[in-house]
Amino acid sequence: MAEITVTINGRQVSAKEGMTILEAALENGIDIPTLCHHQDLTPLGACRICVVEVEGSRTLVGSCHTPITEGMVIHTHSDKVLATRRMIVELLLASHCGSCFMCDKANICELRKIAADLEVGLPRFQMRKNYYPLEDISPYVVRDLTKCIMCRRCARACSEVAGHNVFAIAYRGFDSKVVVDFDQPIDKEVCRDCGVCISFCPTGALGKPREAKEEKRGKPLIITS
Amino acid sequence: MSKIGEGTNPQSQEKRDLLVLLERAQSRSGYLSKRTIAELAESLGLSIGEVYGVASFYSFLSIKPQGRNVIRICKSLPCYLKNAQTIIEGVRKEIGINPGETTADGRFSFELTNCIGACDKAPAMMVNDDVHGDLTPKKISKILQAYK
Repeated sequence: MAEITVTINGRQVSAKEGMTILEAALENGIDIPTLCHHQDLTPLGACRICVVEVEGSRTLVGSCHTPITEGMVIHTHSDKVLATRRMIVELLLASHCGSCFMCDKANICELRKIAADLEVGLPRFQMRKNYYPLEDISPYVVRDLTKCIMCRRCARACSEVAGHNVFAIAYRGFDSKVVVDFDQPIDKEVCRDCGVCISFCPTGALGKPREAKEEKRGKPLIITS
Repeated sequence: MSKIGEGTNPQSQEKRDLLVLLERAQSRSGYLSKRTIAELAESLGLSIGEVYGVASFYSFLSIKPQGRNVIRICKSLPCYLKNAQTIIEGVRKEIGINPGETTADGRFSFELTNCIGACDKAPAMMVNDDVHGDLTPKKISKILQAYK
């Protein structure tokens, strides 16, 4: 692999040909937030959180799936980039269920972390939320699609890591969702004990069934005297 | 009963032919039944979910049984700006069902669809394969009479 030189945030860095902008940035200590991206999965570019400005490009580009080219001039944290990322998070939150108080994964939620990092508060856009009933009939995985942000990490993890193909995307536009077979609740017939998708889900959409007496994760420490 | 896709074109048994095969299956039986989808998935080596996903994505593929005639009104922006709402309302009054439904006698199914490429004739609708443009609520009754 040939070494090529790119400029990231005004600094000339060298990186290997074939790397993505995200990889080159990470290697040089520049943090770009990601949501649908995962190092163990094929890049997809669905969420657009990782967009960066590339000089000469008409639009912002997704850094997780754009390969670097010689002489590229990249800005990872320009005003335009930050404004765009904030807007994307705001839009994601607008259609997200938003009940973090009630969510088991509230304190390990990547969406919430990114919103906090980018200083996004309550979304300005009030919109009708999709309602999907909780799918808790499987002994291996609990699915709550109201929390799903359509990053497709579960679908990719299931086919690429676990070697199954349980999840697919169906319908269109606001109605689109992650489905199992003919859009049926996930049960132990279609999905056996593996749980790979749960660790890949950035939100609380996929979780382990709660065992009896198990406490909520990351609950505040209460000191009793 | 032979499997969908079998005997039609021996070359078309690859994943990339999915859309063509779905279209063909739909034109044969009017809609894509669960059985059709499951058979297609098996013959192409795809999961049922993947085939169902494609079938449910496209407005012109149907996963529900359809009436003899399918009315599709465009819900995209150009038609919207030309008052497609009044046409939707007009059809609703004329045949007495909401979008997504089929009349009890099986004569009409009523769907909203994405752009059908007739923006120059907005507001437009399709009945089966015929495009009707420059619609007004008054024209609807006469147009629909031709479809039994």
